[in-house]
Amino acid sequence: MIARLSIAAALLAFAVWIPTAAHAEDKPAGITIGYLNLVNAQLVSKALGLHEKEMGVPVKWLKFGSGGDVNNAVAAEQLDFGGVGNPPASIGVTRDLHYQAVTVLNMLGSVEALVVRKDEHIASLKDLVGKTAAAPFGSTTHYLFIVALRNAGVTPTDVKLLDMSPSDAVAAWLRKDIDAAYVWEPSLGRMVQAGGEILLDSGKMAAEGYPTWDVTVVMTGFAAKYPSYVTKFVKSECAAIDFWMTKPAETAELVAKELGLPLDDVKRMMAGTTMVPCARQITADYLGTSAQKGKFVDTLVATATFLKEQGRLPAVKERAAYERFVNPSFLEAALKP
Amino acid sequence: MSDVSVGNLETSIVRAVRAFRVSPEMLLTAATIVALTLLWFTLARLKLVNPLFLPPPEDVWRAFVTVLTKGYQGSRLDQHLVASLSRILTGYVLACLVGIPLGLLMGLSTKVKAVFDPMIEFYRPLPPLALYTLLVMWLGIGDLSKVTLLFLAALPPLTISAMQAARGIDRQYVKAALCLGAGRRQLFRHVFVPACLPVICTGMRISLGFTYTVLVAAEIVAATAGLGWMVWDASKFLLSDVVIMGLIVLGLTGLALDFLVRRAERALTPWRFQ
Repeated sequence: MIARLSIAAALLAFAVWIPTAAHAEDKPAGITIGYLNLVNAQLVSKALGLHEKEMGVPVKWLKFGSGGDVNNAVAAEQLDFGGVGNPPASIGVTRDLHYQAVTVLNMLGSVEALVVRKDEHIASLKDLVGKTAAAPFGSTTHYLFIVALRNAGVTPTDVKLLDMSPSDAVAAWLRKDIDAAYVWEPSLGRMVQAGGEILLDSGKMAAEGYPTWDVTVVMTGFAAKYPSYVTKFVKSECAAIDFWMTKPAETAELVAKELGLPLDDVKRMMAGTTMVPCARQITADYLGTSAQKGKFVDTLVATATFLKEQGRLPAVKERAAYERFVNPSFLEAALKP
Repeated sequence: MSDVSVGNLETSIVRAVRAFRVSPEMLLTAATIVALTLLWFTLARLKLVNPLFLPPPEDVWRAFVTVLTKGYQGSRLDQHLVASLSRILTGYVLACLVGIPLGLLMGLSTKVKAVFDPMIEFYRPLPPLALYTLLVMWLGIGDLSKVTLLFLAALPPLTISAMQAARGIDRQYVKAALCLGAGRRQLFRHVFVPACLPVICTGMRISLGFTYTVLVAAEIVAATAGLGWMVWDASKFLLSDVVIMGLIVLGLTGLALDFLVRRAERALTPWRFQ
């Protein structure tokens, strides 16, 4: 009965709320953020309640294992904000998900790496032919793994590549079911401890021209309805990044508490992840400006083209679609004094 | 128009329907399927729903043809189907071979029941995905863990039904047969089997249906082929046409399997269908 009443109340609230939305900008009743299981400044905003303070609305945080899962939640319209890497973002834009990238969460470095079994004598990517390897399909590491294999002259299908979440990959690694895995921390560290060595990491791939990153996305509908709240959200994200850059020790403690991980693990993970200060995010290497979008658009187009070649996407959209996705306007507004 | 003619019209429709040996229920079923398909076409044609959620039927058909001829991620549709069916049937047949005799023993002996019942009752309600994580750690990422999960899913309905069947045998029949001088073999052949088979058959049907629902969970980790894996993988790339096509193929295959079990049921216990 109570449940039914509350459903009725929600429907009523919805009915009342729709017509008013067209007039002046309303205050959202609350926001839902889908965050990735990664180490970046988002955890600082979460731990310190920065969004609640800046926006004055209750915030619900939902944790996702990968950007692919975030995409599914976005498709189901369950989120207002989310975090995705460049492959899920390319997939989302190509498949008509209605969202926009508003800030850079992090640039991926050694926090994601290809770990190989020491006793298998794998000195180069070529030695992976005929071996069994794992990566979470549709993620940044899956993308980089195939790119790296192809660039090394290895036909990706010559490696038995299996779809596994990083935690499943650890189990398979301990059982010696897999010889290699391209995954992220903290699973990565466990594999290195259990007889693994790093063959390649995402920082190296970025230097070779294949950067991977995660961005904050906002739903296009939410951004149209509550633009000033998106700006506020961006402001508190920038504050969290500043906190990360200026107070690394405190940040490490906050993150360790947030993820329930040992401090040493967190410090290693933080060192493998690069934060980009907000003022730099609107330069050509990152989001760029509203007038001249940055390199992220190139990365998205390159990723989508690559996924199309791999038979993962039916078609690549025109460049304008990926340009529309990258939206620095909120960041520009937030940075105005 | 008078009531009589309406009645006549009705009887003549009924007669015409009978002439084609089509029951009104079958007509209703057919009409429901046609109506749902029409609704799907209309929704897609009028663009009332986002094609990401419900792709138009022609896209799903195109996905079917593409996957059938060119394949999805290295395997054609028939190969995905064979991969899934061989996993399901291996797990299911093994579960039948183990579960039915075990259930009969549990029904006949309270001591056997006391040993196995707590185990089965404990794991039965566990979510298959949670169980699977453990199986991957124990048995690895190959087909062994997948088949084991399907086996474990298939087992409880089989043992429970066989147990109930054995317990439900009317003692009067046993006494009567013994009085008439039946030997052990005759008692088994003419009293036990016919008394237990109907309940066991029902259990076998339920078991197969349940095993089928666990398929996607079994194929989520480290599969490279299989219908469940195809649906799971396509959803990661938001390929909803492949997802829906896969679900339709899964549904139809499930129906076909159920049909086969019902046929077997008819063949084994013909007296129930006279």
